[in-house]
Amino acid sequence: MNQDQSAIASALRAILADHSTQESVIAAEGPGFAEEAWKVLGEGGFASISIPESAGGSGGDLADACVVLHEVGRAAAAVPFAEHTLLAGWALAEAGRALPEGVSTMSTRSSESLSVTAADGGAVLDGVLTRVPWASNAAQIVVLADLDGAAQLIVVPTASVTIEPGRNVALESRDLVRFDKVSVPADAMVAAPASVTAEALELRAALSRAALISGALERVTEVTVRYTAEREQFGRPIARFQAVQRHLVRIAEQSVSAQMAVDAAATNAVTGLDFFDIASAKIVASEAAGIVSAASHQAHGAIGMTKEYELGQLTRRLWSWRDECGSEASWSRRLGAHLAEEGADALWPRITTGLAPERRNEKVAGR
Amino acid sequence: MKFTPTVLTEEEERLRDDVREFLAAELPPDFRPGLGMGAGANREFSKKLAARGWLGMAVPKEYGGQARTAVDRFIVTEELLSRGAPLGAHFVADRQTAPTIMKFGTEEQRRYFVPKITAGELAFSLGMSEPDSGSDLSSVRTAGTKVEGGWLLNGTKVWTSGAHQNDYFAVLCRTSPFDGDRHNGLSQLIVDLRAEGVTVNPIPFLDGGHHFNEVVLKDVFVPDDRVLGELGSGWMQVTSELAYERSGPDRFLSTFGLLKYFLAEHEPSSLSSEQQRVVGQITARYWTIRQLSLSIARTIDEGGAPAIEAALVKDIGTKFEQQTIALIRDVVDIELDPHQGSMFELLLAEATLSGPSFTLRGGTTEVLRSVASKGLAK
Repeated sequence: MNQDQSAIASALRAILADHSTQESVIAAEGPGFAEEAWKVLGEGGFASISIPESAGGSGGDLADACVVLHEVGRAAAAVPFAEHTLLAGWALAEAGRALPEGVSTMSTRSSESLSVTAADGGAVLDGVLTRVPWASNAAQIVVLADLDGAAQLIVVPTASVTIEPGRNVALESRDLVRFDKVSVPADAMVAAPASVTAEALELRAALSRAALISGALERVTEVTVRYTAEREQFGRPIARFQAVQRHLVRIAEQSVSAQMAVDAAATNAVTGLDFFDIASAKIVASEAAGIVSAASHQAHGAIGMTKEYELGQLTRRLWSWRDECGSEASWSRRLGAHLAEEGADALWPRITTGLAPERRNEKVAGR
Repeated sequence: MKFTPTVLTEEEERLRDDVREFLAAELPPDFRPGLGMGAGANREFSKKLAARGWLGMAVPKEYGGQARTAVDRFIVTEELLSRGAPLGAHFVADRQTAPTIMKFGTEEQRRYFVPKITAGELAFSLGMSEPDSGSDLSSVRTAGTKVEGGWLLNGTKVWTSGAHQNDYFAVLCRTSPFDGDRHNGLSQLIVDLRAEGVTVNPIPFLDGGHHFNEVVLKDVFVPDDRVLGELGSGWMQVTSELAYERSGPDRFLSTFGLLKYFLAEHEPSSLSSEQQRVVGQITARYWTIRQLSLSIARTIDEGGAPAIEAALVKDIGTKFEQQTIALIRDVVDIELDPHQGSMFELLLAEATLSGPSFTLRGGTTEVLRSVASKGLAK
């Protein structure tokens, strides 16, 4: 983590300590969205980190954005940073547009089930998008679609679509959106530059979930170490029992593994999204999410199963985020198929490409 | 607990290229790879590495080393391990004995032993475990009795890998009586494995191979100048040795050959989705664990003492080595034969038979967890 990133992390941690308390996390489960926390992040300029200043953002890069996500994950804050900033904000900025007012969201799977046709200089959208994060809470949905052979970014106001609310198991909004022959004018569309592809969006989305997971894992580790040091049974803190220590070590190991994978993937992503890195980070983080949730609940006993206790706020997110944007199983299959194509002799050289050489000068200088 | 991703310098990457080129030339195409540090011992191979300057890399030049870094040593080691190269003749001396002698040994010991280690001429074993002393190492009973000019050593060491082939071993023993603290009064003695009174008896490994030995010491004379470091500091020396040498690439790469040969022997289009899943899952972990392990080497070069982190990474790595065997076995349908089959099948049989040792050697999982959990509580 460089100095800027440390500064972002410590500033955000302080802000979220005040604005993403256990009570406000529970309160946000009603609307599926932590409005106040999001507002505060916007006021502090954190909500647009990684969007260039020329497009109205705060500047910074993808690795800086992953630091924000890490803190959001730690704080269990139901805020749309990944979709609003990393996906919609980035895509529009690449196309030279600033983000419109209000929350924007974006789905990574628009091409699957949405048909877009040209009409009156604008376009008509027809179809359904499933599991769109924050659609109920957003002012607009940004869609990447093919129109007569050219990729377009289309900004669709949520007022013009039908939303059937859905939730993940942390009760964050994940909605079904019906586009019932929705017409948009020409000025709602902009040609998508070559960098904005479905694959790029998918990789950015997967990295965002891995970063959120790494933050939640770090916090679960702290909460579990603290609880097991305080809770006494049989006359001593339960952390003194080897059987409990086994859980603690397992949690710490998984947490540092996920953190390392996310750090490396995010740092490398600054100079170019890489399928191998991001797939690996999502695989390791998602796998860790399941292992850590199980071990931390076991170490906590019944208190961990209560709604007001912090652990459940984190583990319900881990159980959500590990599946979102591709589970460890689905990324593993894709990565495995890719590696098989590359061949056995390419395997070791790829594994030993840790931090990409393009980062060398900067990292060595900053060390 | 801190792990920072590290990027290799251009010079470090050049070293890697050199090692790859060397291995491509040295290892024949039909070379039978070994599993990690259990790979065969070949003194000629070790001497060739020494000639390239790849033994004792972090040792100062005046003692025959290269005055390079822990990261440089990491790179050479991971390249050797990834190919299953026969590093058995030098591995313990290079990883453990030379650094210990450099750190704690007398000037005479440094000048006598270290240049021979870095030349690949001297091979060492470790003399720690005993029949009644495993994880609880401070309970060793092997004892030295002071005599004119040295010590008479009596006792029995077990699980002494390579004692039948190596030259010396560093014996942890009691040199003064129990004074209420079991960690006091222990010393390390450098013992010539061919000395009078030393008997090396094979303890066949469960696959029938000969790695382990029992070494019986009966009135073995060890001169005063072969007391490694200070008399009575054996415990401190041994624990410091274990702490930093724990988390290297030998702790996660033992079964890399399984994955590589699985891929080599399967057409990409023939892989089932379950097989693809396992290849992806294992590779993602290799990439991650390697960076955890590498970051410890970098921290050591920067003057850090990441003992807790090292224990954690060793536990992660060795458990992963075993998981790798189970995950791959789960997606193939073969009956194991230790003597025949494709390279992949032979490696799977060998890995199945030797796998349980991965989480025993160098500190059992249970001991490491105890070390790591104390670190977490701080």
